[in-house]
Amino acid sequence: MKLHWFAEASYPDLPTNFRQTGESSWVTTPISRCDPAVVGDMTRMFIRLMQQADRQGFDGLAMNEHHQTPFALTPSPNLLASALANTTSRAAILIIGDSLALYNPPIRVAEEMAWIDCLSNGRLISGFVFGTPMDTLYCYGVSPVELRERFHEARDLIQRAWAADEPFAFNGKYTKLRYVNLWPRPVQKRPPVWVPGQGSVETWDLALKNDYCYGQLSFSGLHSAKPLVDAWWEHAAKSGYDTNPFQLAFTQLICCAETDAEAEAKYSEAVKYFYRNRYVHPGFETGPGYRTQKSVEAMGRFAAQTNEKLPPEEKARANRGEMDFWDYDKHGFIIAGSPERVRQRLEEMVKQLRVGQLIGCLHMGNLDEETASMNTHLLATKVQPFLRNLWNNYEDRWTPEAVRNAAPVQEAA
Amino acid sequence: MMDATIHSRMEDLGDASYRVFMGGSGSPLVFFHGFEQHPGAASFLKRLAQGRTVLAPEHPGFGQSGGFTDLTDILDLILHYRTWLTPIVAEHGAVDLVGHSLGGMFAAEVAVACPDLVRRLVLVDAYGLWLDDHPMPDPFAIPQKAFDEAKWADPARAPRETNSFEGDAKHYIFYRSQNLGSASKFMWPIPDRGLARRLKHLRVPTLVLHGSDDGLVPPVYAEAWGAAIPGAEVKILRGAGHLPMVETEDAFLEALREFLD
Repeated sequence: MKLHWFAEASYPDLPTNFRQTGESSWVTTPISRCDPAVVGDMTRMFIRLMQQADRQGFDGLAMNEHHQTPFALTPSPNLLASALANTTSRAAILIIGDSLALYNPPIRVAEEMAWIDCLSNGRLISGFVFGTPMDTLYCYGVSPVELRERFHEARDLIQRAWAADEPFAFNGKYTKLRYVNLWPRPVQKRPPVWVPGQGSVETWDLALKNDYCYGQLSFSGLHSAKPLVDAWWEHAAKSGYDTNPFQLAFTQLICCAETDAEAEAKYSEAVKYFYRNRYVHPGFETGPGYRTQKSVEAMGRFAAQTNEKLPPEEKARANRGEMDFWDYDKHGFIIAGSPERVRQRLEEMVKQLRVGQLIGCLHMGNLDEETASMNTHLLATKVQPFLRNLWNNYEDRWTPEAVRNAAPVQEAA
Repeated sequence: MMDATIHSRMEDLGDASYRVFMGGSGSPLVFFHGFEQHPGAASFLKRLAQGRTVLAPEHPGFGQSGGFTDLTDILDLILHYRTWLTPIVAEHGAVDLVGHSLGGMFAAEVAVACPDLVRRLVLVDAYGLWLDDHPMPDPFAIPQKAFDEAKWADPARAPRETNSFEGDAKHYIFYRSQNLGSASKFMWPIPDRGLARRLKHLRVPTLVLHGSDDGLVPPVYAEAWGAAIPGAEVKILRGAGHLPMVETEDAFLEALREFLD
């Protein structure tokens, strides 16, 4: 199993009563709450932590794209990827991903990905994402009925640009380019592509037909994800595809310390900060036509199944940051405790869901650097060695060759 | 006089079919509905049909009308209505065109591009212009309560509004989402597709009708329409919000008759 390092680059200095103000934490959050000096400090911290993760043997360093939100200050993941490509040597640069419809012309994604692949010696994983409604519809003003069409047109252009041997003309509905001739080409002939989804059959088929890795990227843990992930594997099998665990990526908040008591003491406030400050004004959570009727109905069915194990009022409490630390753990929002406990719980979870690409969120909310660094160290030294060989009988086509062939790190425990 | 009845039928046009509500007899009056939905067999349409042939098409992508995937921009929409109107005009002469809300944007575009098809134009609380000093609320994102307060002079009148939905109530949400998605093509993120540049070409006699309490398209926009359209007449309907034909039906119909007769 592959273990990737990830954090939502959350702004750490929101006041404790931010949630009570009723302000949306996305799109319209007052900029008066943002101190640029704090953003500089936190960004340098995330770069240091990810460099540590690279040294200690994490398989990938993941970054994502969000706009106009203190929840994640990574408006361009490619910029962070670029800083890391130049200062790390071993881990995959896992961009998960660029919101394709927001790059115009989207040839820019093909170029930047190729350039980062060159800079990192072929360590790039290219994520193609639709993007949240907040980011795409409201911050970047894309019409909800055009988003998917723009995404697929961009995807087609990018892949053709990576593969073409000579200049070609691209006459799309939204993008018209007379001369597509990408300089440079990526080191990898076709970088691995990952696509995150929320349980829509359309996205499952997209991943399966194109041999993309599918990402179930939520922060609600095992109980919420189980019905969706089971349905994904069932759909893959029914459609005649291998059910290769490496084709599934899953995000999990992890809070590891020397003892369970220490974990609670060190992470409890950060976990609550993370969930509490993720309140989005309901008007920005979707847009007309953003989801197809088919996927709305499917999501309704999954929600009904999820509710059996995690009642909606409990989920709401979790999202208000009001759940007890160990209740977050019980429902799988977080996996917390001593290295031994974390190892057991992770193993149980990834086996239940058949996860081959585990994206561990090792920093959350307003966690301090020292604790996040300890978390990274404990995972690399006391957890990852026991999970690395899981699923070894499957081929991992979704991690760059350069990363798969890297020699294991010998780190003193 | 008895109200005329309004019925609907599907009409093929090109390779899609569209729903048209119609009723009455006499010279044709065409009504273009707003961004939320077609009003169906609404009271004001029945009363308009007492002396006129009322034709009220459901826009592409709304309700039971198809043809949405063929639309890329406003020109496609104009051509759709040009094709639909041409045989009607050939038989009866140029039509009176009343456009409400998003339908106002469409009606103005058609009147600019196809002056041969339109005798008189009425824009009712129309979208289509944007004033930097008077940004309109985002109808797709504001909370329901704020939306209701912006839309109605008196939100208690909301139950009077009719729509063209037919079928199982649990599917209403998809009807609404489909309608708003189709509207977003021309309203997202700002309901301006360049009409301000084109209005100087408008030569059709125009009435701008606007609810005094419209919070979705504030009345300052009525002045802007009036200033941009050569020779336009502006009339404010007191006590109406975004839907004067519902909130102040009598005054709305009276204003139409005065201008059109």
